[in-house]
Amino acid sequence: MQNDLIIIGAGPAGLSAAIQAASYGAKVTVVDETPYPGGKLLGQLYEEPKKGMWIGGEIAKKLYSQAVDLGVTFLFEREVWSIFPTWKVSLNNHQDLRAPNVLLATGAAERPIPIPGWTIPGVMAVGAAQVLCNLQRVRPGKRVLIVGVDILSLTIARELQWAGVDVVGMVLPPPSPFSGQKADPRFHLAALSNMSHLAPSPILRMAGNLAKAVPVNQAARFYPRKGVKIWDIPLMLRKAAIEIQGRDEVERVILADVTVEGEILNHQTQSIEVDCVCISGGLYPLAELAALAGCPFVNLPELGGQIPLHSAQLETLLPGLYVAGNITGIEGAKVAMAQGELAALSIIGRLQNNLEKMAPLIEEAMQKVKRVREEASISFHPEIVLGRRKMQALWEETLTSQSAQ
Amino acid sequence: MDEMIICRCEEIPLKTIRKTVQEGACTIREVKLQTRAGMGICQGRTCRPLVEKLLPSEKEQAAVYQISGYRLPVRPLLLQDFFKE
Ligand SMILES: Cc1cc2nc3c(=O)[nH]c(=O)nc-3n(C[C@H](O)[C@H](O)[C@H](O)COP(=O)(O)OP(=O)(O)OC[C@H]3O[C@@H](n4cnc5c(N)ncnc54)[C@H](O)[C@@H]3O)c2cc1C
Repeated sequence: MQNDLIIIGAGPAGLSAAIQAASYGAKVTVVDETPYPGGKLLGQLYEEPKKGMWIGGEIAKKLYSQAVDLGVTFLFEREVWSIFPTWKVSLNNHQDLRAPNVLLATGAAERPIPIPGWTIPGVMAVGAAQVLCNLQRVRPGKRVLIVGVDILSLTIARELQWAGVDVVGMVLPPPSPFSGQKADPRFHLAALSNMSHLAPSPILRMAGNLAKAVPVNQAARFYPRKGVKIWDIPLMLRKAAIEIQGRDEVERVILADVTVEGEILNHQTQSIEVDCVCISGGLYPLAELAALAGCPFVNLPELGGQIPLHSAQLETLLPGLYVAGNITGIEGAKVAMAQGELAALSIIGRLQNNLEKMAPLIEEAMQKVKRVREEASISFHPEIVLGRRKMQALWEETLTSQSAQ
Repeated sequence: MDEMIICRCEEIPLKTIRKTVQEGACTIREVKLQTRAGMGICQGRTCRPLVEKLLPSEKEQAAVYQISGYRLPVRPLLLQDFFKE
């Protein structure tokens, strides 16, 4: 069977793209290295303001069965170890797939923040804790400390608590070249003020409003040392985890008070007993296959880091190579789904050699991505829209300079 | 901090990478060749963003460039899958 399109990644972006492309009659194969469809959707479980529960596992099931009904082929537990223009996709079971179009929907990876002791068993990335807990149904520990405060770790703290884990607190990482702003209490107060519509606790909302009303370093000064409780979990923005200790596994963490700027006050430390530590350093786009293919990259921190250059229609500079989902920038699952649909329409336009006919549909899909982005209750980067605009400008500049040559 | 492991696969501590950068390594590839950081089973998926933070200048923003230091295979692979007849 000749494929029209190979999709790498069965997350929300890849699944939505598969459905859209197959509904136009394209022969589609989706490859994923995990045993299940859904990607990061599978761990997602949280309450959205005014919309109720978001249960990623159920959405994954629905998308997958829709794709199967449309005749999409799925290959699970197959790692793509390289792609070659134009296009061969090599899998780890001796198999090569060929197609004129490839969609990279490989998602994101977690950015680690190393702190002394981070290699002791029982320390993990916060996303690993989410997968253990919500997918494998294993509690990552009995008493868990979370290091790193962001929308992801706040969400996962809540999920761990629902699973019966005692989340003893959330603290900052110590200042280092790796933690950057994540070690700065002022940055967090500013970020919290952007999320205060989501904040469950009146005090947190107050902290958020305070940060809006007065300069953040003043708000940080007034922030209580023992933290502010959110769902009964102390959110300690004036403490950092400076060392994780334990002989064979995690036994305790040393916390230190920090200044308003996040500097460690060495004489003010305490030890807290835990059997698990989850570190949250944020996400970065997983674009290694685009790099191997020779795609040009750009570095846009607003989108989460180094990203393959792409157009608003989600094509790259290499003919037949497309991107969708978190590989284009870190956003929530709904945006990834809308992007998957858009990428598929661009690909159908190329396959049918009739971009003109598809243009109105592509335009509509682009508007949908924008709308979903505006309505998203979860935003990983406050400046995402600016990042998208910069990407588009760089794309246009590159095209102009290429046609001038 | 100095003894802290940065590349977990190859067990390379922070001090080794810092020393290499001080001695003039400017790219991911140079650090990799000097220290083996990023040459283990995960191929830098964990340590690459960390080593990037230690390089003299992070990639300039708002420019289009070819990214270096990625090598196939990007996943661990049996030799029999690589050298198929
Ligand atoms: C730990 C974590 C928690 C998150 N929690 C939330 C949340 O609560 N709410 C929210 O809206 N967003 C959350 N996100 C953001 C999340 O990335 C998006 O919601 C969405 O899942 C992105 O979709 P995607 O299809 O781009 O990628 P993913 O869902 O990550 O799917 C990518 C798929 O590609 C596969 N893959 C990658 N490389 C290869 C390869 N070489 N060979 C074969 N298969 C490969 C992976 O196995 C994976 O299944 C979270 C992200 C992470 C990392």
